[in-house]
Amino acid sequence: MAALMKDKEAYQRLNFLYQAAHCVLSQNPENTELARFYCFTQKTITKRLVLKQDPSVKRTICKRCCSPLIPGVTATTRQRRNKRKTRFTVMRCLSCGQSKTLLNDPEYSLWVDRPEAQLENQKQTDQVPKDNKKNLKNKKGGQLPPSQSSASTQQQQELPSTSGSKQD
Amino acid sequence: MEEAFVGATIPRDLGKIVGVESKTRFKAEAFTKAFLKNSLKQPWKHDLKSMLSHKAVLLDYARPKKDKSKRKKKAAKGLNARQKKEMKIFQIKPEHQRYELFLPLHELWRQYMIDLCGGLGPMSSPQSVQQKLVKADFHGAILTVIRSKCPSYVGTTGILVQEFKHVFKLITKEDRLKVIPKRNCVFEVEINGFVSHLYGNKFEQRAGDRSAKKMKVRGSIDL
Repeated sequence: MAALMKDKEAYQRLNFLYQAAHCVLSQNPENTELARFYCFTQKTITKRLVLKQDPSVKRTICKRCCSPLIPGVTATTRQRRNKRKTRFTVMRCLSCGQSKTLLNDPEYSLWVDRPEAQLENQKQTDQVPKDNKKNLKNKKGGQLPPSQSSASTQQQQELPSTSGSKQD
Repeated sequence: MEEAFVGATIPRDLGKIVGVESKTRFKAEAFTKAFLKNSLKQPWKHDLKSMLSHKAVLLDYARPKKDKSKRKKKAAKGLNARQKKEMKIFQIKPEHQRYELFLPLHELWRQYMIDLCGGLGPMSSPQSVQQKLVKADFHGAILTVIRSKCPSYVGTTGILVQEFKHVFKLITKEDRLKVIPKRNCVFEVEINGFVSHLYGNKFEQRAGDRSAKKMKVRGSIDL
């Protein structure tokens, strides 16, 4: 149980770093260096502690230079398709030129979005990691005004209490 | 369409329906500048103002073609240290070093701290809070040097912007970026009336590594 609790702090830290990167960019869209630094720290933490991040987070960070990819600010997004008419979203980092190609297919869903990937379907006890994943998803709202971000923090404050009740 | 509509803000009731909020003038301008700078053709980058005075702006352009043989080899690899150095990947440009730009970051950090410590009322025990602080992130905190072997560092206050292995980069109220070594310094952090001291000698690790490594009790610090 202790391991899970420790991870929770690490996830909170990741959440903070991701939000901080977006906060810096929303203040001054040209200050990519600092945002990149925060995302780089985020990446090193996940590396050192072997944590898994949600694809929705991972897909918004450049693989090469670690800058957060926001369409229009630090990245361009274009729709492309190949000869077999499958469509792709191409995200291109403006600072290093690395591009990400993501498939657009309504039929296809990511492994984490599928029902059998959720932990509750396999084991009933492990609720905490799933909650953490949700936290990571919430991080998308990094650019939100303070009122909404405080709402998300309230959710987080509730989290420990709920997990504690499950432990009991 | 009349040109006046281009710069107009969205009416409030309409914005509520669509779920969009128009930004303040200063922010919108900053965004436009950054957007144009990033998406315009290379040689025009220096005179944005003259570009904006013209009416038609070409945003997307055909990139010069690269030789594909070279690109395929290095497709998904990261940058190595020399490339990072050349790109100045983490260096903050002097025009971004403004104190008021970092106030929202500090606000965010306070939220995070209160979350982490679960309220931080007068009831919470200082020991547990300090244990959490060891693994916490300090980007955005207001740090003050209270003791140091070098007397000129004492009394420096600022928002922590970057944390490196041996050095903190603070931004002071006079809009100056100060680099302060961790060794032989004691820092003070204040969260909601809870004051904590950080001994720089024990913090000589990278920001990312600190969350993974265990802090060991070893020796004492006399300053």
